[in-house]
Amino acid sequence: MARVDLTIEVCGMAGDGTIAAGGLLNEAMSAGGFSVLGFDSYPAEIRGFGRCVTRSRIGTERIFALEDKTNVLISLDDVQSRSRVPYLARDAAVFFDSNPPVYVEEEMSLAARVEPETTLFGFPMADLAAAAAGTTRGRNLTALGGFAATFGVPRDLFVEVITKKFKAKGNKVLDANIKSFDAGYAYGLEHFRDRLRDTLKPLPGIKKGPEKVMLSGNLAIGRGAIDAGLKLYFGYPITPATPIMEYLAAKLPERGGRVVQMEDEISSIGAVLGGFYAGARSMTATSGPGFALMTELITHGVMAEIPAVILNAQRGGPSTGLPTKTEQSDLHAAVFGGPGDSPRIVIAPSDVEECYRYTVLSFQLAEKYQTPVIVLTDFYLDNRVENLPIPQATEREIADANEYPDESVQGAYKRYLMTDSGISPRSIPGMEGFTFSATGLEHVEKGTPNYTEENHMNMTEKRHRKIAGALEDLPAPVEYSRGGPLDVGVIGWGSTFGAILEAVNIANERGLNVGALKITSIFPFHGGVIRAFMNRCSEVLIPELNYEGQLANLIDHLHRKDVVRLSRATGSPIPPSLILKEIETLVPAGAS
Amino acid sequence: MAKDHVVIIGNGPAANEAAIALRERAPELRVTIVGREHVRQYKPHFLPALIAGKITEHDLFVRPIESYSQAGIKLRLGQEVVDVDFDTRRVILAHKEVLRFDGLIIATGGKPRIPEPFLVFQDVMMTLKTLADARVWIEKLARVDSVLIVGGDLTSVAFAKALVSMGKTVKLMVDEHGFWPLHLGDETRQEVAQRLASSGMELVACRKLKGLARVSADEIRVETDCGRYTVGAVGAFFGLVPDVKFLARSGLYIERGIIVDESLMTHYDGVYAAGDCAQVYHPALRDYWVSIGYRNAENLGRIAALNLIGGKVCAETPPESIFHVEGVKVPTSWWAEI
Ligand SMILES: Cc1cc2nc3c(=O)[nH]c(=O)nc-3n(C[C@H](O)[C@H](O)[C@H](O)COP(=O)(O)OP(=O)(O)OC[C@H]3O[C@@H](n4cnc5c(N)ncnc54)[C@H](O)[C@@H]3O)c2cc1C
Repeated sequence: MARVDLTIEVCGMAGDGTIAAGGLLNEAMSAGGFSVLGFDSYPAEIRGFGRCVTRSRIGTERIFALEDKTNVLISLDDVQSRSRVPYLARDAAVFFDSNPPVYVEEEMSLAARVEPETTLFGFPMADLAAAAAGTTRGRNLTALGGFAATFGVPRDLFVEVITKKFKAKGNKVLDANIKSFDAGYAYGLEHFRDRLRDTLKPLPGIKKGPEKVMLSGNLAIGRGAIDAGLKLYFGYPITPATPIMEYLAAKLPERGGRVVQMEDEISSIGAVLGGFYAGARSMTATSGPGFALMTELITHGVMAEIPAVILNAQRGGPSTGLPTKTEQSDLHAAVFGGPGDSPRIVIAPSDVEECYRYTVLSFQLAEKYQTPVIVLTDFYLDNRVENLPIPQATEREIADANEYPDESVQGAYKRYLMTDSGISPRSIPGMEGFTFSATGLEHVEKGTPNYTEENHMNMTEKRHRKIAGALEDLPAPVEYSRGGPLDVGVIGWGSTFGAILEAVNIANERGLNVGALKITSIFPFHGGVIRAFMNRCSEVLIPELNYEGQLANLIDHLHRKDVVRLSRATGSPIPPSLILKEIETLVPAGAS
Repeated sequence: MAKDHVVIIGNGPAANEAAIALRERAPELRVTIVGREHVRQYKPHFLPALIAGKITEHDLFVRPIESYSQAGIKLRLGQEVVDVDFDTRRVILAHKEVLRFDGLIIATGGKPRIPEPFLVFQDVMMTLKTLADARVWIEKLARVDSVLIVGGDLTSVAFAKALVSMGKTVKLMVDEHGFWPLHLGDETRQEVAQRLASSGMELVACRKLKGLARVSADEIRVETDCGRYTVGAVGAFFGLVPDVKFLARSGLYIERGIIVDESLMTHYDGVYAAGDCAQVYHPALRDYWVSIGYRNAENLGRIAALNLIGGKVCAETPPESIFHVEGVKVPTSWWAEI
């Protein structure tokens, strides 16, 4: 199959069915065997009336990031879509309603704004939908029909996903939606079929691909938690983490678990510690402002050595900040936030599949190292959707990772026993002869409070030794390069890594010699591996979605010279093109 | 006269020359070209060569697309004007957009003429005016080997030759307006036709086309006063008529084309027409003329633009010159060898 790489946007007002159309598009393209990465943006206000945009990038090869240029714009509201014109690729195709209810002045017209290279596909979407289904509500599906016919996407792929989505609403609704789609499809076949020329081509021979699921980062986290045997979820709603709670509220009770909405984030983390204290896998999910409230109790988990899984879905900050925008600016807070020397584990998945795997992993890490584990995602990762083979965890990955005390110590059990690894076998409250002591005060091995100089020093060292030892169970950095010395090494984390990888791949295709290093274990981190990589690079570039360069701050001491920071606090994902540009300026002239 | 926004309807030679002239002479103006086709300006006279596979689509285009933005001309492609309200000075586009103008140049050119008796056969006949038409011909010719050309206007000559060069069987049925827009006497017309016949096509001597019927997707049964036969496609080449139907109820005076004075202005202030769509008054002849031809359209476009910004240029009929059709010298005034 010829290489396909298309970015498609659906843009409309809240209420136009924009997000639904984008979702169906993703599902249909996924069913057609393409890789799909989609990201929706909603009105800036959490509840409100405004512009909705879905962006989907589809390709024959794995998609790592969103492109900054759009090849196809499906407009459900021209006034809103006008703002998308600057993002259109040179030869974009634009589908729009050519018979709006009222005449439109030039200033408000989408057609007036596009460049001449843009191919316009104007057709009476609302009229066609109304004629086919008796209502204009299916206009979004008519628009998809026009797109599908023009780009040669088989009707059946869409009909199947429409059926899946609407069948629960009854035959009447389903029928109306299919009719609306068909009306656009027929129109497209008749009028648009041979209008794609030059660089934008119909998609080649699409056939049904292997079964994949379309998951958002949030859904993958929810599924991962359930598969890992989550028993208790405590949370307080906050964008962008709320969908995790919603998903779990629907699914967890079926598996014998409980979801409790708490009065705030402090009580949420308190309850999570309580759940794990009692031996039940528990978690909470929040975002920056909620995470800030949790920090005191997180350090309680550190001191009392109680497991906890905390998902921090980062958004633009500080404070309430930019609730519906993305940012990677809680790294400092996750690694260092809270009083005292309080080491904890921080991991950060970089794609949807990793959201699943790292959530699963977080429970074992929390249990084995008796510590809060913070999983750092961000708005872009939480809300983007990717299609992937149905993720599954093995028995081993979900097995109980608690290290229980040996029978032989019954009666003489020391909850905070000094060991080489720093891990003190942990009983569960109620185990006879294994008296469990949990305290936020500094303590001796038995768990009784003690503030002597020597003890505090020893216990602090123990807690740090334990977390440093976790490195053996933490995913090592992954390098993507041809090996050997590199002109530029790009290091990244979280949702930004996809864009980094794409930029590095393009740079190498262009004959440059660059590499990428993905870091998913943020704390502790694999300093040796990172240093070895840096040593092979003439320049090290760290792009991240924050102003301070928070990962760079954490690891730049490992490099013999200053790392180059590409720190962006725009609220939007970094496009691969920007990273590529930076790489190209760093590569010495003439190097290849 | 300083105009804020000049809208030019059409994207052929007349329209483009007008836009360029406006840009050069009145850079303060906002200039918008609205063209119905989805492609930038191309040379229609190269379409036969494209069909024959001698050139690519890229070779057709007159100028790079970036040149418009560089020149500050807003080019709107694939957008059709369906009406003009001269009182409120608004152009109405097919997608229900309203475009306000201070000055307007109408340069919508011509469209293939189908004579009344042939209208019933319209669905089975193909034309060649636009690049889209040429693409349809290319697809068709990949499947059929024989073509009947009826009418025989001048655009069909190059087309028929292109077909012969592709090894197709060409039947040519020249009517009394044959080789339009040249006005040839019977004798000259016959002579030109005979010469064409000797270059590999068959002249059909019949006078009347009685019927055309599609037998299958790529077979058409032709019935004439002197027999029946089957061809793969039928091309209608009866010349062009001004493409101004959309203005029929706008209040403009329209006869064969849009009536304009010698400065190319319509009876609405600041509204001009140029190129194949205009019917121009000639003060000396005290009559109107309609002209067809590429260079002539360019010239009229330029004149309309200059007059719109206050110039006083008269559209003269060009001096008669000689045009060669199949080696026969015939007088022409607008249609030029290009
Ligand atoms: C096959 C062929 C061969 C030719 N060979 C020669 C030759 O050898 N020598 C010669 O001198 N002449 C030749 N001509 C004729 C010459 O091309 C025309 O005379 C000339 O192009 C006329 O220019 P124009 O600008 O007036 O109109 P056109 O070139 O016809 O342009 C009109 C433009 O207006 C647009 N338009 C029409 N209606 C609307 C609307 N409602 N809204 C928006 N846009 C609209 C059309 O899409 C088109 O872009 C040939 C023509 C053809 C078709």
